[in-house]
Amino acid sequence: MTDLLQLLIAGLATGAIYALAAIGFTLLWQTSQTINFAQGEFVMVPAFFALIAMKTLGLPLIVSLAVAVLASLLLLGVAFRYVVVGPLLQRGVLPLVISTIALGIILKESVKDFYSAEAQVFPTLLPDRNVTLLPGVTVSLAQIGVLVVALLAIGLLQWFLAGTRTGRQMQATAQNPTVARILGVPVERMILYTFLINAGLAAVASILISPIYLAKFSNGETLGLVAFAAAIVGGFNQVRGAIVGGLLIGVLDNLAAAYVSTAYRQAVPLVLLVLVILFRPQGLLGRREERAV
Amino acid sequence: MAQDTILTLDGVIAGYGRMTILNGLSAAIRRGAITTVIGPNGAGKSTLFKTVFGLLGVRSGRVTFDGTDTTGFTPRRMLDAGMCYVPQGRNLFPELSVRHNLELGGVALADRSGLAARMDEMMARFPMLREKADAQASTLSGGQQKLLEVARGLLLSPKLMLIDEPSIGLSPLMVQEVFSILTGLRDGGVTILLIEQNARAALAISDYGLVLEQGLTRIEDRADAILADPRIAQLFLGGGVAA
Repeated sequence: MTDLLQLLIAGLATGAIYALAAIGFTLLWQTSQTINFAQGEFVMVPAFFALIAMKTLGLPLIVSLAVAVLASLLLLGVAFRYVVVGPLLQRGVLPLVISTIALGIILKESVKDFYSAEAQVFPTLLPDRNVTLLPGVTVSLAQIGVLVVALLAIGLLQWFLAGTRTGRQMQATAQNPTVARILGVPVERMILYTFLINAGLAAVASILISPIYLAKFSNGETLGLVAFAAAIVGGFNQVRGAIVGGLLIGVLDNLAAAYVSTAYRQAVPLVLLVLVILFRPQGLLGRREERAV
Repeated sequence: MAQDTILTLDGVIAGYGRMTILNGLSAAIRRGAITTVIGPNGAGKSTLFKTVFGLLGVRSGRVTFDGTDTTGFTPRRMLDAGMCYVPQGRNLFPELSVRHNLELGGVALADRSGLAARMDEMMARFPMLREKADAQASTLSGGQQKLLEVARGLLLSPKLMLIDEPSIGLSPLMVQEVFSILTGLRDGGVTILLIEQNARAALAISDYGLVLEQGLTRIEDRADAILADPRIAQLFLGGGVAA
């Protein structure tokens, strides 16, 4: 029982990071039909921005993290929007999908060739101590910290989307871009905001996950897959679906690693993906998409 | 003529991709009246709306709205100029509440401070909106959704409302209600340009009719004259049998 609690907290902490990646995935799809198969690399890369700032430029940790977020917003947000998605989306969804796969490979190989093929130790802002929650239940403060920061980011995003006029204009753009335009919503700007949010969430996820799993060029492979699975499992057209999907996969893969076999850990998202597609294709929280002809 | 015309099209050519739908269309829409656009499928009725509102580019010709040359205006500028557009079908944001759907009609409002008051006015005018303010828009009936769309369009106090097939999928009772809202708006000074599948019923509440065929104006006349013309009835209103 105490094991279970510990596993649950660890699972929620990883799940919250998955959720960050999955939310961005969903948002990009909603506002601009972009299925970003480079999403995993988007979470891998910001850690290296921070490492470059720290080791090459010799900046302090906090500043380096800020630089990493800023660089992510510019490169993974603005540049991705206008250099990759903008020109390619006019050619249809499929060419863009293939291009994001290519982008993922480029990012991965660039980090490997120009930075390092080795896993890099990444500093953490969170204290690396264990605390005892209940008698017998010990969790690391770092895990709690990850969970808190990720949930805070998610909460902030949810508040922004539902509680502010700009957020609701973004939702309107996602739900019906044509009508949003008819009402005078600056659709282009809302789409750019989505890309910025995606890049920002990826940077936060990167900063949270790299101290735990080390920063490595190949980190994106599993992360991208898990984000994709989490988005589908939760319902591709729902931000809250991505949250539920991410947390669920995080908890299940920690449980599977402990009770079944670590070898099966990576199979969890895929099994879940297959089950959902078979029995609930719109996802756990998704709604069926009706597309007007 | 100039004074009582609110919208003028001069030889407008427009279409989608390589397809040309409007083939040099000219028409003059009277101010403060309901004008129903009729014509067979593919005549260019909806295309006319999209072109006038700036959703489709004008390849050639000129659109004049309320004394201003609005050719090539974006939808946002058309809203600012005093036009609103209620397209065919479902046009709400299904996951947002009724209140927030209504509020989005005010995005183009220059003075945000007036938004709450305008929303209150709309809710007073359509009490259903107040009752269902916090419900998700997707839970409204088809007719209620149309009312919300119309109210959302009215939020900016437009001079001209383009409304495409408002009665589609509505019960006969609801159709009557939508029509009476439109005549009420006209009586309040709003010009209405209407496309309606049920052309007879629409012409009956209209002041003028505009008959399109193959992207050109075939007839512009008073609605009662169009209704009374047996040839038009035969060609465009589904047979000559009186309704």
